[in-house]
Amino acid sequence: MAGTGTAHLRGGDAVLKATDVNVRFKVPGGTVQAVSGVSFDIMRGETLAIVGESGCGKTTLGKAILQLPPPDSGSVVLDGTDLTSLSGEALRAARTSIQMVFQDPISSLDPRMTVRNLVAEPLWVWNRGSEDERDAKVRELLDAVGLEPDLVLDRRSYEFSGGQCQRISIARSVALEPAVLICDEPVSALDVSIQAQILNLLQDMKERYGLTMVFISHDLAVVRAVSTRIMVMYLGKICEVGDPEAIYSRPAHHYTSALIGSVPIPDPTRRTGRTPLRGEPPSPMNPPSGCRFRTRCPAASDRCAAEEPELREVSPGQYVACHHPRG
Amino acid sequence: MRRLLGGMDVFTRACAGWMSLMVLLAVVGPFLPLPDPREADFEASAVGLFSPGHVLGTDSNGYDLLSNVVNGARTSLMIAFVSVVVGGALGAAIGIVSAYRRGRIDRVVNLLFNIVLSIPNLVLGLALVAILATSSDPSVVISPSRRVVVIMIALTCVVLPVLGRIARGATLTWINREFVVAARSMGMRDRHIILRHIVPNVLPAIYSVGFLAVGVVIVAEGALSLLGVGVVDGVSWGAMISRVAGEFTFVPHSMYVPVTVLALTVIASNQLGDYLRSRLDLREGRL
Repeated sequence: MAGTGTAHLRGGDAVLKATDVNVRFKVPGGTVQAVSGVSFDIMRGETLAIVGESGCGKTTLGKAILQLPPPDSGSVVLDGTDLTSLSGEALRAARTSIQMVFQDPISSLDPRMTVRNLVAEPLWVWNRGSEDERDAKVRELLDAVGLEPDLVLDRRSYEFSGGQCQRISIARSVALEPAVLICDEPVSALDVSIQAQILNLLQDMKERYGLTMVFISHDLAVVRAVSTRIMVMYLGKICEVGDPEAIYSRPAHHYTSALIGSVPIPDPTRRTGRTPLRGEPPSPMNPPSGCRFRTRCPAASDRCAAEEPELREVSPGQYVACHHPRG
Repeated sequence: MRRLLGGMDVFTRACAGWMSLMVLLAVVGPFLPLPDPREADFEASAVGLFSPGHVLGTDSNGYDLLSNVVNGARTSLMIAFVSVVVGGALGAAIGIVSAYRRGRIDRVVNLLFNIVLSIPNLVLGLALVAILATSSDPSVVISPSRRVVVIMIALTCVVLPVLGRIARGATLTWINREFVVAARSMGMRDRHIILRHIVPNVLPAIYSVGFLAVGVVIVAEGALSLLGVGVVDGVSWGAMISRVAGEFTFVPHSMYVPVTVLALTVIASNQLGDYLRSRLDLREGRL
């Protein structure tokens, strides 16, 4: 797998369009190619889910969109502005259109600040409104995320549970009314019972504030509930892109199929008949030639080692980077 | 403030009380009805504790020990506080900015800290005093106040890399927290990120180590005096110790008095540092 290519880009009125994004990290002993040649576009109001196992570059890609740090090459175009060409003040201003919700809800909030200051901080940074207007906005945001303003305003993050902290983070991330919200594993640190609440909240916020979302997750069950389009990544490359219906019912890539097969089914009497993936992902410092998935792929052939597959359409709206897609 | 005092055990209260007493003495010392610390009472030299007119006795020169302890607190504590506050502020500023910037500046700063830290405190202090407060012409007398300033500078140089490294290390643990990334993503300037998010979180570590440093500096002042490069002819705890060092066996209480006061102050300062750390380290652990 491990496809490059841009066949899956739809053109037209994309809010966010990334083309051929590469992110490299220098580490002792070499370079890690964390994201290589990834392209995607998101239409207004869509939720693009980026899925893949740990270390496949999902989070790095999310941060590269925010230019934290900027990608080593490629472009990230938001509403017609290429963020990679900006720096200094222009980049500082442009970043406010994209905000991020992080995985660890407790670490995303400064333990020394009150909720009032945490949520008002983005407004303070941009000097939006008077003191009173900011206070009213903070109350409105807290109310929107389901927290009682009078009870929480003067408390600090360590007085809250993970789910409540995530609500505060979400309130803060929409304070600047961004166009795009990047959610990096927003529920994976939470109890299952809280996960659904936060997912519903994100859905509400999306409608209320007209957000376009990038939803990064390793949990396919969660992704299925929220996404309008799914992008599967492996070792920094795209395997498959498509709408959830297609991805779940007829995955074309062997990696996608293995991922879906790994979702636990809450019924011990049922057997999936799918073979689980064996082994570990290869080191991203020294990825396999050709298709990066070939070392673990049941359908790998000589061609997979020699030639890197490009993304191509296998059914309407479903693109796969594989020489031997599943039928 | 009430929250800060609330959890104190008896020992910590005693330490806080002792430290407050010393600070009070340092401030009001000159106004107390005590003999002049620099005036020898030839009628009563080397008298013991609780002698009439000399509550803590006198040393062999006839200097009143209580008066020297009280007035010495001024010099000793001033040296300690000034060098810790100045060294701490500079060290913290350098450590935080260098850790935040990373890269070449950070490597150079870290190397310099390590070099200075590898020199023993007293050797560094001795060398600086030798350079700044000695003259090759023996007829030129170097005034005690100049010696005090030089010792402050020397001890500031001792404290600076210690607190600088603490600040640098603490900053490194905080800059990777997601709230710093979040602050940057909302367009916050580096200056504001440092002032609003890094400094408040790094300060508790600085406070507690700062109190430990006060103890170290008080001891270092005494040690420098003993080596003959302290405020030898002035009024300080170190000066008291160095004056009587030679006659310790004849007039033991003239040594015990300043040493006891010095030791108690160091213990109190260390304990307060520990206590502050445990209180200010709110962290998620206090849930």
